[in-house]
Amino acid sequence: MTPETAYVTPDVLLAPLDPAYLADETPARTGLRWSAFLSADALPRAATLLLQAGWHLEDICGLDVREGLMAVYHFDRMTSPGRLAIRVLMDRAAPVLPSIADIHQGAEWHERETADFYGIAFTGNPNPAPLLLPEGMQGHPLLKGEAARAPLAALLAVPGREDTVLRKAEGFTLLDPAEDAKPAKPAKARAAATEEGADNA
Amino acid sequence: MHSTETLWSNGTSCPAASADGGCADDQIAGDGYTCRFEQGARPESLILNMGPQHPSTHGVLRVLLELDGEYIVRAEPVLGYLHRMHEKMAEVKTPAQFMPNMGRVDYLHALAWNWAYVGAVEKLAGIEIPERAEYLRVITCELNRISSHLLWWGAYLLDLGAFTPIMYAFDDREMLLDLLQLMTGSRLTYSSFRFGGVYTDASPAFVQGVRQFIPHLRSRLPMYTALVTENIILRRRIEEVGVIPQDMVTRYGASGPVARGSGIAYDVRRAEPYSVYDRFDYEIPVRHEECSMARYMVRMAEIEQSLRIIEQAIESLPDGEHMHPKAPKPSFKLPAGESYFAVEGARGKIGVWIASDGGKTPYRVKLRAPGFSNLALFAECARGTLLADAVAILGSLDMVIPEIDR
Repeated sequence: MTPETAYVTPDVLLAPLDPAYLADETPARTGLRWSAFLSADALPRAATLLLQAGWHLEDICGLDVREGLMAVYHFDRMTSPGRLAIRVLMDRAAPVLPSIADIHQGAEWHERETADFYGIAFTGNPNPAPLLLPEGMQGHPLLKGEAARAPLAALLAVPGREDTVLRKAEGFTLLDPAEDAKPAKPAKARAAATEEGADNA
Repeated sequence: MHSTETLWSNGTSCPAASADGGCADDQIAGDGYTCRFEQGARPESLILNMGPQHPSTHGVLRVLLELDGEYIVRAEPVLGYLHRMHEKMAEVKTPAQFMPNMGRVDYLHALAWNWAYVGAVEKLAGIEIPERAEYLRVITCELNRISSHLLWWGAYLLDLGAFTPIMYAFDDREMLLDLLQLMTGSRLTYSSFRFGGVYTDASPAFVQGVRQFIPHLRSRLPMYTALVTENIILRRRIEEVGVIPQDMVTRYGASGPVARGSGIAYDVRRAEPYSVYDRFDYEIPVRHEECSMARYMVRMAEIEQSLRIIEQAIESLPDGEHMHPKAPKPSFKLPAGESYFAVEGARGKIGVWIASDGGKTPYRVKLRAPGFSNLALFAECARGTLLADAVAILGSLDMVIPEIDR
């Protein structure tokens, strides 16, 4: 658990969990060193392995995409740094993830924030109360309307990204290029309307 | 009082809440947080609500405390009183329109947030920055770090009952604000970084002012030490108080002076080098005592190291443009893709993650605030300490609530 623990690369560390996808990234392009797709069940085990290997949780980011809801866990190390993004996709109808707050205690607040913004339930969170939004507030502000949702590949599988894919499960199609990479975005119209203001910035 | 039923994120309603949002048990006063907190209390305990207006909570932090006499049995920070949903604003504004928000997330080290956001955008869009602009960013960001540490120093001592030091700190900080005003046009909520450079070039008055400020502050620091750091009352108040072992730092993802006060030499400027920091000779101050005093000493040493960086940068400031000739117009479109950019702020690792689908506004922006993770460990750290120590511990974490709530 101490930061001096010998460095084991995440591809070796996470291999027993059989990630659906694992890539060696180019930090100069994305700020990431590694990225992986895991199933929700494998998350607590991954969190334990990472903590034992001296990794700490940086943040948990929700993401609303066409394929469903996603949570991105960013991990980093104090010694021999290099960011690891663990992505977990959920069914939009029942967005539930196991809490990792009993392993990385700092996750408690990150999970509560993600629950506020996206309505994702983290089972086992020790204090599942709203963190930043008021009690009793209905709705989740970062969920997108159906027309605004982009496919995951449009965000993460862009040309020239040059990741080295180390593992890819058969039937893993999440990062295959989507047929229409650019969906209609309602935010565009608003941005165009205020473009004059942006030019004065 | 709310007319709607209190909904917790797990979909259930607060066990003790009544229909009006208050508590069903008339012996318990307060909102859902208090109700829930009371549920786990021992019968002989006293529940104390500290904040959100308590002066030592610096802004609007609320902490629920369960006390056994003067000892803290349990603590729970309650956040959200300064929440503005910056991440939503980032999704409906173009990058240029969102820049002013970056001066308002952490208003004490606004330029570090400026840098984290422009850094993420520049990385994603492949925007180049002229060398002179890199130097100007380093100089202004480090000046801002010193002004943040000076304010923390004055305010922390004020929390602990020493009224005078903040007068000295604000005297010196005022000079910094004058200098930063020349470069940014503001005194607090700076948003002067641009995609591809900085808003203004350094004037001779600015360069001259910085050159004069460095020896001035250096001459003041021994007085700070003699007046305050070696003061026995201060040392008794904060030495061996608020011990944060290294594994706690890792479990909570704490960073900045909180990690370095616990013997972890982690600094984003070294761990994930950005800009031109690798060209300067400076140290990363580390203390091993793990207590509030260790974090105090780290910050005081960092002021000296920031002065060293500024001194080298101002003497080797290259000529050239402060904006890249090919810097994009404010209405530029972000290409599709993702980028994560981290910088070392006064409170630790600031991270900005942008995911873009190629639209005019970013698809998702995540703001990773160092204070969020640093404050998260308070509940565990404060357990078993005296109520008066809670103030010493909270202050030693150097929290800025607008950054934590975002």
